[in-house]
Amino acid sequence: MTNHNQTDTKRRGVFVFIFLAIATILEFGIAVFTSMWGFLVLLAIIKAGLVMYYYMHIQRLFEQDIETDHKSYAFKLVTNRLGLWLFMLSDFFIFGGLLLTRFNLLGLTRPDLNQTLGLVVTSVLLVSSFFANRAEASMEKGDRKGFINSFAITITLGILFIAGVIGVEWQLAPFSASDGVQGPVFYTMTGFHAFHVLTGVIFLAIVLRNGIRGHYTAEKHWAVEAAAVYWHFIDVVWIFFYPALYLIGTAL
Amino acid sequence: MKKFFSLGLVRGILWQIFGTALGIGFIVLVRILMGLPAWKAEPAVVFGALLGAIFFLIGVGAFTDWYKMAMGEEVPEEVDESSLGWRRYFGVSLDHKVIGIQYMVLGIILMSIGGIFALIFRTELAESGMQFLTMIEYNTLMSLHGMVMIVSILVGIAAIMNYTVPLLIGARDMAFPRLNAFSFWIAVPAGLILLSSMFLGGFDTGWTGYPPLSVRAPLGMQMFFLGVSLAGFTSILGSVNIIATVIRLRARNMTAFRMPIFIWAAIATSIISLTATQLIGLSFELVMFQRLFGMGFFDPVAGGNPILFQHLFWFYSHPAVYVFVLPGLGIISELLPVFARKSLFGYKWVAMSSLGIALVGFLVWGHHMFTSGMAEYLRVPFMYSTLLVAIPTGVKFFSWVATLWKGKIIYPVPMLFTLASIVVFLLGGLTGPPNATIATDLHLQDTYYIVGHFHDTLFGGFMFPFFAAVYFWFPKMTGRRLNENLGKLHFWLVTPSFFILSLLMMRVGLLGMRRRIADYDPALGFDNYHLMMTICGFLIAAGVLVFIINLIRSAKSGEPAPGNIWNSRSPEWQVPSPMPVHNYDKEFEVVGEPYDYGLPGSTYVRFEGEEHHDQP
Amino acid sequence: MKHFIVVAILVIVCTFLVYTGLTAIGLLPIQASEQAIVIDELFDVHIALISFLFSLIMVIMFYSLVVFRRRKGELGDGAFIKGNSGLEITWTLIPFIIVVFLAYLGAYSLGEIRRIDLTALQVNVTAGQWYWQYQYPEYGIASTDLYLPVDRQVSLDMTSNDVIHSFWVPEFRVKMDLVPGQVNNLRITPTITGSYKVRCAELCGASHAYMEGNVFVVEQSEFDAWVSEQQSTVVIDPVLRGQQLVQQYGCTTCHSLDGSSKIGPTWKNLFGHQVTLDDGSTIMADSEYLIQSILEPNLHIVEGFPANVMPDFKDILDQTQVESIAAYIESLK
Repeated sequence: MTNHNQTDTKRRGVFVFIFLAIATILEFGIAVFTSMWGFLVLLAIIKAGLVMYYYMHIQRLFEQDIETDHKSYAFKLVTNRLGLWLFMLSDFFIFGGLLLTRFNLLGLTRPDLNQTLGLVVTSVLLVSSFFANRAEASMEKGDRKGFINSFAITITLGILFIAGVIGVEWQLAPFSASDGVQGPVFYTMTGFHAFHVLTGVIFLAIVLRNGIRGHYTAEKHWAVEAAAVYWHFIDVVWIFFYPALYLIGTAL
Repeated sequence: MKKFFSLGLVRGILWQIFGTALGIGFIVLVRILMGLPAWKAEPAVVFGALLGAIFFLIGVGAFTDWYKMAMGEEVPEEVDESSLGWRRYFGVSLDHKVIGIQYMVLGIILMSIGGIFALIFRTELAESGMQFLTMIEYNTLMSLHGMVMIVSILVGIAAIMNYTVPLLIGARDMAFPRLNAFSFWIAVPAGLILLSSMFLGGFDTGWTGYPPLSVRAPLGMQMFFLGVSLAGFTSILGSVNIIATVIRLRARNMTAFRMPIFIWAAIATSIISLTATQLIGLSFELVMFQRLFGMGFFDPVAGGNPILFQHLFWFYSHPAVYVFVLPGLGIISELLPVFARKSLFGYKWVAMSSLGIALVGFLVWGHHMFTSGMAEYLRVPFMYSTLLVAIPTGVKFFSWVATLWKGKIIYPVPMLFTLASIVVFLLGGLTGPPNATIATDLHLQDTYYIVGHFHDTLFGGFMFPFFAAVYFWFPKMTGRRLNENLGKLHFWLVTPSFFILSLLMMRVGLLGMRRRIADYDPALGFDNYHLMMTICGFLIAAGVLVFIINLIRSAKSGEPAPGNIWNSRSPEWQVPSPMPVHNYDKEFEVVGEPYDYGLPGSTYVRFEGEEHHDQP
Repeated sequence: MKHFIVVAILVIVCTFLVYTGLTAIGLLPIQASEQAIVIDELFDVHIALISFLFSLIMVIMFYSLVVFRRRKGELGDGAFIKGNSGLEITWTLIPFIIVVFLAYLGAYSLGEIRRIDLTALQVNVTAGQWYWQYQYPEYGIASTDLYLPVDRQVSLDMTSNDVIHSFWVPEFRVKMDLVPGQVNNLRITPTITGSYKVRCAELCGASHAYMEGNVFVVEQSEFDAWVSEQQSTVVIDPVLRGQQLVQQYGCTTCHSLDGSSKIGPTWKNLFGHQVTLDDGSTIMADSEYLIQSILEPNLHIVEGFPANVMPDFKDILDQTQVESIAAYIESLK
């Protein structure tokens, strides 16, 4: 394993992040200057696809597994990956149900929210995903220090996201939880999501602690991969929630 | 005494009590700090119950290993539980066979409780006029009967699937044993919370919990919502395990179409319960939020939409009924070849039909809402999709009778229940199309006809197959057989009475008897029918009592059955009973088709080191 | 071959027996509407299909159970038959055709029962826990009994004041839910005069079982007479008029006259006394208070009673009617 390969993975992570950032700015622009909601949905799907392929490496699920010893680490790793994805598939359905609820009740209107704040928290989450990926890439090459630093930044940004949404947005929102339907929709969607961010932060923190104590190696670091993938899952949810709450439709 | 408190279940319950009190206290404290009046029952009790459930899981030990892993400690791969004896069954066990039996016992307990509720309100219904229940007591018992039975079905299918799936595919255990234990244990506090609703004012909405009625129902309603939401995790996490196990842990050469047919049923079931269950949780949670935080999701005054609840709710609850019956239909397909001594007719078609039912099942939910005033253009497509489910279901029926045709049929008790399943499920399935065509549904919706229809499908698709499965695999679990005579008594008590019960339900429904009513007009002339239905109910209960007695007695002193008493080709019957601790000490590989009965010299599986020899 | 012939004969006989048996016992109530006739025809198709399919499966099954059972001392397994693609395709395709045909019949009958008659009688239905209330906008009358002229379509526009209810007269067959916040339409053309009962068909709380009302299908002349009677008994004396309106609009379902506790505050001794509201303040129950409480009930909620239960009558009653009701309440000591 050479530094060349590590730089490769990390560089790819940077390019993907730049793509995501541009797409997000594009989303913002389309929302502010036009009413082409369809494009926003398309952009969200593209962003989600990028994250699921490059950060969550969903393609590993479909790789041929030739390992036959059910007790080996390699075999269990593949099984664990499958388990994690099945769990996330299930969780997607809750968020899907919330999106359906939002569109059924609000249609092409949206809650009256602070756009700057929305863009800021979204960016925080996107950057945190970048660092989660970077951490996993470091660990894959045995760079413990890189992993620790990147993971610590991810956790910090995650906490910042929660502070931004629950601490700031919830206080500043011009409506309460019992206000019409925009209140219920906004607080429930952001609440469910923030709860998952919190569990993600706890997961990351546990893994960071164990990582500092030297529990993981380049060959065996399933916990790192799992925590990072789960973190990206939360990011993918927000990739859809952000336009649904902030961008699509006319403000109430 | 010390031994009593060492039981996981006991510790769990004690912790649950403690956690509930802590949760209630916490809410009181928060309210005081926020300057609100200290005591408000609903948020305190809901949070208390939730915390209680989490503490139960801590107390029983479901989190222990994961906590150790989080702390970076070593956790043993496998645990030797044999020294614990019968205590294993009262605590966290990693053995799927123990968990399967735990599920089975919990399922039978819940079924009995739900059944007793039914007996109580059926006694009230036997005569018109209110004899001894109040309206809210009736509504609560009737609603709980529904949901407790549903949970017992989810637990019962988990029992069958957890016990048999690893055995059928030749695995040592499930893919995620700790997750498996967790999935079981969360059902216990969930059930307790669900039942607690009776003591917190009850609720009057039926198991469907429609707002706006559920928003204004008593506190018991919240316990209902919370209990079901928690029980949902049993389903969801259980499906993760089943799917991962079947994909990853099959024996060598066990290709997709050489798996036992029940595995296909388990996969189809798990696909549904993995995904759709979240929606009932969401729909219930939104009503909980409406009650707790004033969030007007379903309040028209706030701009909410009561029909949205029905869409969210039924998007799960219709596929859910296929979760209830697909395993049972898989059991029928699995057992008929053994007792007809003949190959399962059209294995591939039967396998695909389970997937077909699961997939089409996602597209039909609107047929529960034909009278709701939902968008008119949606009604007809849902009618088409609903009728289409009949096709894969028909494939199964035709396959079953074709399997019996030209067989060499024997009739031990598991076969009797398998056959009863076919008859009863046929009646349930045939009474479905009148509900599917909208015009006729306008007459049938919310009547006792529907009650008859779903009792037929549930008894035929779950209850009788469950009995068949228990009689069939009991020797594998214990090394003894259930008493054959008591089994026949059980069969003859429940089967004719149930058949008559369901026909009477449909009769009164067609004539105008609504469902979910505590009382009915004597002028309708239904009194005699109701009396007969109540008598049938008691006969069924008697049969189930015989079954339970049989279980208890036979576990201790039943006739020993150490070998392949059914002469089955399935792998688990090629090793001694009770099943060895790690299932297969020698691994096997698949060398033939699973159901080639009648083909001389054919074998399904061959164990390591075994000589190639003829199968008897 | 012999097997097939015997089975075929048994299936035909069984189908015939089941079908005639089912149709002989009278499965449905009398057909008292045009919609019922259409629906019953579809039921008939279903019953025929059920009779056939039940017989088909059951005959083959029981035939096998008897003929292909293992006799005493017999060894060996059943015949080695694994499947038959032709048969599988057949019993997938034929049910598919039947199902599509049934769906077509279903769509056709749905269209038939939803035919709109532009000269239909308009009745607005409002339900609540646990009462039915009807308004005839063409005639300016309200009633708690549903009077319908025979052989004329009625267009029911229905909504609920609180939870979901459902309107169902079994003899008419069709039913439709009443949902708060939306108006659902149901059209019925009654064909047989008589008195029927409408019973709520969606669980709506404690007294759901007893939520019933009268439906009288009468000749046109009798209907006209009833309408005139309702219109003309608009009494001059405000108190009496108020009493009549109270009866027509079902106020006493929630407000007792004798001091007993119901969903809403009792009217006995209400007028002229102080009332404690849910925010702790007190207010005098004068005429203005009574009128406000009828037009906008959620303005003042009396302590111990629920909000958002009483409907706003400002869209239903005019000023004179409201004043009459207030006068009537005043008179109750």
